[in-house]
Amino acid sequence: MVKQLGFVLDVNRCLGCGACAKACQNRNQLAPSLGWRQIRKVETISKDHIQRFYLSTACNHCGNPECLRVCPSGAYAKRRDGIVLHLSEKCTSCKSCVTSCPFGAPQINPQTNKASKCQFCYERLDRGMLPFCVQACPTGALELKELRDIPAGNQLLRLTAPVPSLRLTRPSVFYKPPSATRV
Amino acid sequence: MKFHYNICPRNCYDTCSIISTTRNGVLISVEGNPKQEYTVGKLCPKALDDVKKVYSPQRIRYPMRQRGRYSGFWERISWDEALDQIAAKILNLKEHYGTSLPLALNKYSGNFGVLHNAIEGLFTGIGATTRAAGSPCWSAGIDAQTLDFGTFFCSDPLDMANSKLIWLWGVNPAWTAVHQMPIIFDAIDRGAKVVCFDTHFSATAARAHQYIQVRPGTDGLLALGFAKVLLEENLIDSNLSSYTLGHEEFLHYLEAEISLDNCSDITGIAVSTIRELALEYGQTHPACIWAGFGLQRYTNGGQTLRAIDALGALAGHLGEQGGGVQYAQFETWRFSGAIQNPPHPINQTERLANINRFSEEALNYTDPPVKMLWISGRNPLSQDGNLQQWKKLISQLDLIVVSDLFHTKSSEAADLFLPVTTHYEHWDLNSSYWHYWVGANEPAILPVGESRSDLQIAWDVSSRLNTLKPGSCTFPTSGNEKETLLRELGPQMLDILGLKNPEEILNGPVRAKFPSTTWENRSFTTPSGHYEFFSSQAATAHLPPLPIFVPPLNPSLDAPLRLMTPHHHSTINSQVYAIEAHSTDFILHLAPEVAQRYDLVVGDRAQIWNKSGQLEVVIQPQSGISKDVVIIFQEHVKATSPLNCLIGTPLTDMGQLTLGGRGFALNETFVNLRKL
Repeated sequence: MVKQLGFVLDVNRCLGCGACAKACQNRNQLAPSLGWRQIRKVETISKDHIQRFYLSTACNHCGNPECLRVCPSGAYAKRRDGIVLHLSEKCTSCKSCVTSCPFGAPQINPQTNKASKCQFCYERLDRGMLPFCVQACPTGALELKELRDIPAGNQLLRLTAPVPSLRLTRPSVFYKPPSATRV
Repeated sequence: MKFHYNICPRNCYDTCSIISTTRNGVLISVEGNPKQEYTVGKLCPKALDDVKKVYSPQRIRYPMRQRGRYSGFWERISWDEALDQIAAKILNLKEHYGTSLPLALNKYSGNFGVLHNAIEGLFTGIGATTRAAGSPCWSAGIDAQTLDFGTFFCSDPLDMANSKLIWLWGVNPAWTAVHQMPIIFDAIDRGAKVVCFDTHFSATAARAHQYIQVRPGTDGLLALGFAKVLLEENLIDSNLSSYTLGHEEFLHYLEAEISLDNCSDITGIAVSTIRELALEYGQTHPACIWAGFGLQRYTNGGQTLRAIDALGALAGHLGEQGGGVQYAQFETWRFSGAIQNPPHPINQTERLANINRFSEEALNYTDPPVKMLWISGRNPLSQDGNLQQWKKLISQLDLIVVSDLFHTKSSEAADLFLPVTTHYEHWDLNSSYWHYWVGANEPAILPVGESRSDLQIAWDVSSRLNTLKPGSCTFPTSGNEKETLLRELGPQMLDILGLKNPEEILNGPVRAKFPSTTWENRSFTTPSGHYEFFSSQAATAHLPPLPIFVPPLNPSLDAPLRLMTPHHHSTINSQVYAIEAHSTDFILHLAPEVAQRYDLVVGDRAQIWNKSGQLEVVIQPQSGISKDVVIIFQEHVKATSPLNCLIGTPLTDMGQLTLGGRGFALNETFVNLRKL
């Protein structure tokens, strides 16, 4: 692979406003039950601090995608820029990817009964445009980065999920360390 | 594909500049306008649903008549039928009572575009009528700032990026002004500290360095406590005597009446914290306070804002680049007003009912009574207090007309529904009350269905009136929307915008040519020309001349909990329609200790009630909420009983001076709670 594109979220700029998820939903014309991008609220409370931040997550376009590994019909492909694509025409609705993805990224589209997921708006990227979610983020919290350009020791975290498979699939998503509010 | 300039017309700080895309005459997407420096190409999630809203199957596309109020039996009628019925009723009432006072208009900011004032123009053209006056929103704060500064005028919001210390006081921009947040983040990146004062740990508090939980309605006292520390620590601007009036009296009041222990007891904030914050505020320059609308929705709201203004003045932060006490502004709204001021037909004054007590005051009018009501850009039955009085008023009316996009709680009571256009279907002109940008809104698509703009409707009604009885309305009977828009840009507005001719506004939004920082030369527009700690105008209006602390209302034994209903990120009052409401339950957020006191755990069903009404809620304990309040955010809920069934009509202390009516002290609502 030549590149690995990924999402970097500065959780200290993310308001949890959901503009990213809404832009994804509306502009990709997703069925109401689908949500390729999701917002989770994370809160930790101590005596004199409240740490509340939001995780905006979609497909992590893993370096080593589990969906691609398990798919029996070759309906997944990894592009040279690292984007993991789901190829709907090859999908047989077996749901292997849906059950195996540690992040719950692939979802069944109720209209086609096939898997579906964030495609990184690759058609927009190919035309030099940003993905809808990144484009919509009002604070610049969500960014698209070429991950190999991020210098080592940059203090970015992988907060996706505390699962062992994290090291196995190598999700292409990073988060800036969240700060806490003194109360 | 074609692109059009649009502007989000909600009553919202951000008033975003939009670029809409159409293909073959169909609206396909909306994005922020990158050339407008405040919107910078981004939209909030509310506007991102605009395409869905425009083409929503629930949108009303034709004039409708309801066979019986609240029946839900609506039948499609033609515009001719609707206009005939309206015009005939107006003429009939005028003839019967010998005056047009039985006609009432209740209009506010459902669409804040200037051309929507056409409905007001129509009513003026008919004669003296009954109007809803004042504002449910910001009245007390406006009066307070007017007393202190001479007018209310905030700095360009981009100026906040220069601040070293930002106090967000009773404001939740992460939900209600998302475009301000990147400006605040930029200030943080440059080393600024952000402190958020609120009654609950908001989404904005979560992005601040420090959160100060203030007991509701005591913010004014807290400001005075800070001021007292400034006095004790000698952190008072040494030039005060050159640009302020009455600072000695104010300092004397602080010395004699304000004790930090008492301040701490009442506000719920430790003395050490008050000291620490006051020192930071006194020693950091520039330091900015953004006072939100929430903190003035109390019976002492105006006094609260005056105390906060005084704190800013005492510390020397007024006129400071990146400083000041920011509230809002109306300086970029100096339109010609041609649209709402056609020639007055007769010399008779209007009856002005306070919009916050509209139903009560309208019921009190007997000579003549109110017989016809037009509701435009409003949804009083889901937003106003005292619904019982509204019910009574409705039963005395011969005709209720609602013009809107979708059915609302108010249209349930209407006889006629007139479908209006969205901002993608008509010309308009929009300003913000926060940022300095003004722009024209151009139609991107043809009106959906048979919908018509408010301006077109006003022309049509006037035309029908004049056909039935020539000379019965002086409002124009036809016209051109674009030309009407351009006429609103008179010489004063052109000067403010730095334009040579009105047509230039059609080239895209323009920033008013004001300097970025207000009151920079510390010359104020008060009667004295100084910042007025001591205001004779206040004294004349029977208000305290000094910004002293006046306590808010206290809860009673039958209703011991204060109910707050702040905005949710998905709505602004009733201006974002419930076309996709998923939730069927109102969620009651409360401190875990309060939940425990009522033996409630998360997910429990409970009831809140007071003498106005009752509501079933689901319990959601949450840290960071003051123990004095319970909170229901105003989000869309598919419920039969509206949230405002619990609300009375308490008024704020101020609002009369500038807006002609005191504001809505919404936060002085109290309820009782029990498990179901």
